[in-house]
Order: sequence, then structure tokens, then C-alpha cells
Amino acid sequence: MKQSTDKAQASPTKQFFVSMLTRDISLDDAILDLLDNCLDGAMRIADGDEVDYSKHFVKIKLAKDQFSIEDNCGGIPRDVAKNYAFKMGREPDDDRDSDTETIGMYGVGMKRAIFKMGRNALVRTRHDNDTFEVPITSEWLEAKNWDPLPINEPTKASEKLPQPGTRITVKDLYEGVARHFENEAFENKVRTAISEHFTMFLQCGLKVELNDKPVEPVRVEVLVSTREDGPAPFVFRKIIDGVVVSITVGRNTSHALGNEEDEDAGFERDRSSATAGWTVLCNDRAVIVGDKSRLTGWGDGIPLYHPQFAIITGIIEFRSKRADKLPVTTTKRALDTSSNVWLESLVKMKEGMRIWIDYTNQWKNQASSEQQQARHWEDARPMPLGKAIEAVAQRKAAKRTDEEGIEFNPKKNKVLPEPPSKTPSSRRVTFSKPAEEIRLVGKALLDDENAKPGDVGEKAFDLALAKAKKRGG
Amino acid sequence: MSAGSSLPYRLRPNKAVDRELFLSLLMRLAPKLALEKYHYVGLGGPFLEDFRLVHGRLGIAKMTCLEIEEQVHKRQIFNRPVATIECVHKTLEDFLDESDFGTPAIIWFDYTEPKAITTQIERFARTIGTVPIGSILRVTLNANPMSLGIPASKDLSVEVEGEASEDRAVKPTIQEWRLARFKERLGALFPSGLTADGMTFKTYGLSLLRAMKLAVDHEALSYRDRRVVWALATHYADGQAMVTAAMVVAPQDDTEIEELVKGWEFYTTTDAPHRLDLPALSTLERLTMESNDDAKTKLGFELPSTDMGTDPFEVFRKFYRIYPHFSRVEL
Repeated sequence: MKQSTDKAQASPTKQFFVSMLTRDISLDDAILDLLDNCLDGAMRIADGDEVDYSKHFVKIKLAKDQFSIEDNCGGIPRDVAKNYAFKMGREPDDDRDSDTETIGMYGVGMKRAIFKMGRNALVRTRHDNDTFEVPITSEWLEAKNWDPLPINEPTKASEKLPQPGTRITVKDLYEGVARHFENEAFENKVRTAISEHFTMFLQCGLKVELNDKPVEPVRVEVLVSTREDGPAPFVFRKIIDGVVVSITVGRNTSHALGNEEDEDAGFERDRSSATAGWTVLCNDRAVIVGDKSRLTGWGDGIPLYHPQFAIITGIIEFRSKRADKLPVTTTKRALDTSSNVWLESLVKMKEGMRIWIDYTNQWKNQASSEQQQARHWEDARPMPLGKAIEAVAQRKAAKRTDEEGIEFNPKKNKVLPEPPSKTPSSRRVTFSKPAEEIRLVGKALLDDENAKPGDVGEKAFDLALAKAKKRGG
Repeated sequence: MSAGSSLPYRLRPNKAVDRELFLSLLMRLAPKLALEKYHYVGLGGPFLEDFRLVHGRLGIAKMTCLEIEEQVHKRQIFNRPVATIECVHKTLEDFLDESDFGTPAIIWFDYTEPKAITTQIERFARTIGTVPIGSILRVTLNANPMSLGIPASKDLSVEVEGEASEDRAVKPTIQEWRLARFKERLGALFPSGLTADGMTFKTYGLSLLRAMKLAVDHEALSYRDRRVVWALATHYADGQAMVTAAMVVAPQDDTEIEELVKGWEFYTTTDAPHRLDLPALSTLERLTMESNDDAKTKLGFELPSTDMGTDPFEVFRKFYRIYPHFSRVEL
């Protein structure tokens, strides 16, 4: 064969990009992606130093006819806009973030988010004193060629942004998107997602407003006693493949479940708080919050998640300046579970979980277990990952493995409260009876027809027991 | 019965007003939706008062009354004021699961049990997709924040208007404690950003309505043929604090039902429910207040303000038309 003059077209079509890119991201994730970009901007301003998040704000507005997000996080430099920011995918020579702990690496977030929402968008930005805007119109989207996008200069003073930052507006929203943006439940979902995934930044002072209302951070914390021999969480820290991995597994502040008080339609409902289970942080972003699935080890050599374990919270953090070393996928809200750093960490995560699964097993059939445990936990305070490790590291029993490394196993160090008798002969007795019959028995035994079914059952048992003893003894 | 549900209406004037409001909504919608052909489903209690009124005012003939307790069920059959009422010994949920509605329905989820709040809200929300378009749904929920539990006072701290007890840093206030329980109880239904301020006797009802509204809105996203038109929300306490909300499952492109509802004098949404907190009045006081613009001066004394902190004169002025009047009849 020899080469002919004919050429086969191999360039991608816009249609392909738009439909492929937007297909594997949900609408709420697209919004979070834009928020991620704002934060990357804040990090670039700090240029390797510690970021003062309290100086930054992000304002997001969802409405039926328009979406907007506005920040004061530095804006896009003109040469970045010209060469990189609006390209579909990241160029190999784009080395903007080689020494900051950003999370973006594929260069699709902003474009994908815009295409997901609507047909017309305007990106207005100010970097230092240079304001300009880039419109992405439906005409451009429908055109077959890949003409570069225009860059417009402001002609009036009012078109300038008051401070360095970026404002993205999307109009001509798709029908389904508009329906979501005007729905209060969707707004609530986005608010929850922001308060969870950006909790570290919010706690550091970042101000995020959604539809003019500030978003409050969700606190993911474990209980730590300050006493040397008081109850403490499992703690582990090590550098794996250039990533600092910090883990803690402990008890959260929720009540032990399964008491009669909370009986709900006869089912044991999972009323676990959102923060029970595993929270995975990558460079301060919470990638996953309160995971209770096989992904984080549940049901994989240890029991599947069950409401009994609602008091267990695990937090793991991966920190590295090399975003590609972190075990996250392109959406930044999912894990790359085949990476070595994840697999190695998972072993330790499960080790920590086992301790607390045993703990709940030990206490589950104890009478008034809640009150008995409360004594031991009285001086324990909820702490986030960093503080918990710091507090535990101060204990003499904490094992130092190397400069960064630390390990503490509360079970081996015997600091976990144990039930009075370790092998209780108590067994749970449960049965269901019609409400009117319970009232009748309640009235007969306790002179109270509104007595708790559990109390009525217990008294009825006591009575039968006394009778049986008399007869047998 | 454990909750206040067995108390007759004459001892619960606020509940009576609440019911009148709902009937008034139905009367407004009746000509547009032809409510007489609807199927009314509710829990009647031993005397089936609601059924008698619904039949009397709207002419609805197809009615189903659910009851789980056998003795009450038998009593209902005995007391049945209209022969077309079908009394069924079943839970409302089971009945809904086993029925296919041929005509639109009016369903009143009259929940009183506070512990199953999440299941109740989920069930109510889910129903908007399973009933024929045009149906009217109403829910009553127990809005007593004490139902979240009563912690020992040694486990609590106090903070009022900036002043705080010494243990403030280490112990929650009663509102914070309730918020944690509310969160546990609601799970995924918890409204993001809700704070401890929403856990007082006065505000808990609003928080509950908000959680309920979000659950319904969430469900509504799944349907493209229908949308929810909220019409009425109330918050009242006759002993037990309760909240209610009512809505019409309207066609997606409807504007007429919405207009009709929004023009109604008692139109309210879940974020600002009517606070039904009516004063107990003597007949003379009542007649004086009805016939005078400036009743306060005419009476010459203050009426005691009530648990919900509303002005009794204002409340009376708003609802006097449907204020119940009970008197003794010797049989």
C-alpha cells in the first residue's frame, strides 16, 4: 500500500463532546464541579502558601430561567483563557498547578457543567485589573467547525467586575434542568452536598451562598476523651506512594439505636446520620461522605452495614500536591478503588472498623446499655480528623512508626468501655401484640394504659417469672 | 387511645376550625373539579363526624373509612351516619396499596403518632404519584417537639438571649438536643441548614412542614404529567400540637386550579401556616366581638394570650366565620 491524497476525518464532533461529557455527570455534581474551580482559583492566589478561605466567597443562584455562580477567587488570566481554560481537555504543557493541592486535572469541569445545564453561557472574569468575557452560544454549539470562542472586552465601566473573580451565567436551560432548579427539594440536595463535600473549606471560613442563604458545614467528627485511659478512636497515619494517608475510626455523637422509644412502624429503620460510615477526603475535598457500602469495606470480610453500626464514623484523608496520585475519578465525587494507595489504606480502615463493630456487638444486648456507656464517654468531645489524631498522638500508648507515621489501637490499649459482664446471659425478648391489648395489660399491671409497650412486656414477663419460680422452686 | 385523637371536636375548637378550613377549601374547588364524584378516604374515629360533613357539604357518596382497632371499627359501623360509607378494618397504608382509584380521591392522612414521622412523610409524599390527577391530599402530623424525647436536665445547658450557663460549651441546649434527634429520625429527609432555633414549641411545626414539603417536592421531580399545588397549611394545639397541609395534584400545565386556590381567602403555603389558636369565649364575648370593629375597647379587658403567642383578637377576627359554636342539648 502507498499513501493516497485522500484523508479520513478523525476529528471529534462537538455533539459527541457535549452528549458524552454530560452523560456521566449528575446535575448536582456539575454544580459542585464549578465550586471546585472557584477553590482551585483561591489556591492559585495563595501560590503554595496557606489559603485564607475567609477572604473568599462563592454565590450560586438556581432559578427556572437562569443559573449563575460568582466568586472572588482571582479570575482567569487572559493567556490561560486564550490557550487552556476553554479547551476540551487539559494540554500536557499546562503546568499551572504543579505545586498546589488542587484537585482538577482533566480540564473538563467548567465546560461539562455549562453544557449539562443549557445552551447559552457567559463567562465573565477579572484577573488583576483585566476584565473580559467569553460567550458560549447555541450558534457556536451547533456549528460544525471548532472555531475559537470570541473574547469580548468591556465597553462600559458597569461591565467590569468589582473585584478579581469569575461570574458564569447559563441561560436557555434545558427543560429538565429548569424543572430541577426551581424545585426546593433539589436546592436542598445541592445545599446538603455542598455542606458535606466542602465542609473543610466552610469550616475554614469560606462563604458559600446558595440562593442568597449561606451554606453551613456538616461536621464529621469522632469522640475522643482527653484522659490518658479514656475511650479514643482508632488512629493511623502513614505516607503511601507519596500520599499522606490519615485514618480515624471511632464513635460519633448519635445515640445507640434500637430502643423501644423510637420504634417506627415495626421496622428497624436506618436512622443513621449522614456522617455515620466512611468519609473520604482528598486534599480537603470530601469525595464521599457517610458511605455505608461495599466501596469502603462494609460486607467485605466484615459485616454489611446495619443500623447497629450507626454510631461508627470513619474518616480517611489523602493529601498530596500531585492530584493524579489521589484515588479520585474525574467527577471528583467518586473513588478510584483500584489504586494502590486506596487498597493499602482499605486494610487499615477495616482494622479500625472491626474494633468498633466488636464494640457495638458487646453492648447490644445489655440492659440500659445507653446509660451505662454514657458514664465512660462523659468527658469525650467530638473532634474532626486532624484534631482527633493530634489528641491521640499525645497519649503515651500511641505508636510512632516514623516521622509522619502514627498508630493507635484503642482495643489493644484497653481504653474502650466494657459492659459489666463480658459474656452476658441476657437475651432479647421481642414480640408484637395489638395496641389495644397492650393498653389493657398496661392498665392492669401499671395502672397506665399509655405505658411504653416495652415496659408492659417486661412487667408481664416479671410476673410470669415469679409464677414460674414459685411453681418450679 | 393514646394520642388526643379520641377527644370530641367540641373540646378541641382549634381542630374544629382546622377542619372547617379544609371543608372550605373543598367547597371552593367543588364546582371546578366536580368533587361529588370523588372518592373520600379518611380515618373517622368512633363517630365519623368528618364523613357526615363531607357528605353533607359536598354530596360525596363514595367514602371509605379506615380503622385498625377492631372495637372502634365495630362502633363505626354502628354509628355510620350515611349508608354509603364503607368501613374497613385495615390500616390506611394497606388500603392504599390494595386499591386502584378509578376516580380522583380526597385522602386525609390523619396521623397522630409522633414516632413514625419519617414513614408518614414518605408515605404521604409517595402518594402524589399513585393517585389520579385532580386528587386532593391532606396530611396531619404531630408537631409536639417533646415527642423527640425528654433528656435528663443534668445533660442540658441553658442559653437565653446571650446569657449562658457554665456548662454551655460541653452540653447541648434542649433545642440542640432535639435537633440531633430530629436529624436521626428524619435521616435523608432532614432539611439542610435547619438549626436549633427550629426546635421550639412554636417553631417545630414549621420545621416539620418544611421537611414534609421537601419530601413532596422531591417526589414531584419524578412525574412530568402532574404538579403539586399547595393550598392550605395550619398549625394548632389543643393539648397536642399538630400541623396539617393540603394540596391538589394538578395536571402539569394547569393554571386554573392554581388561580382558584391562590384567590381563596384562607390560601396558605407550608412556610407560613395559619396559626389556629383561638380564645375560649363566653357567648356574650363572642357576640360582642363579632358585632364590633373595636372589640378590645368594647370588652375593656385583655384576653389571655395563648401557647403559640398569637393575639387572640387577631385570630378571632380572621376565623370568626368558621369559629365553632357548641351548646348543650338535652336529649
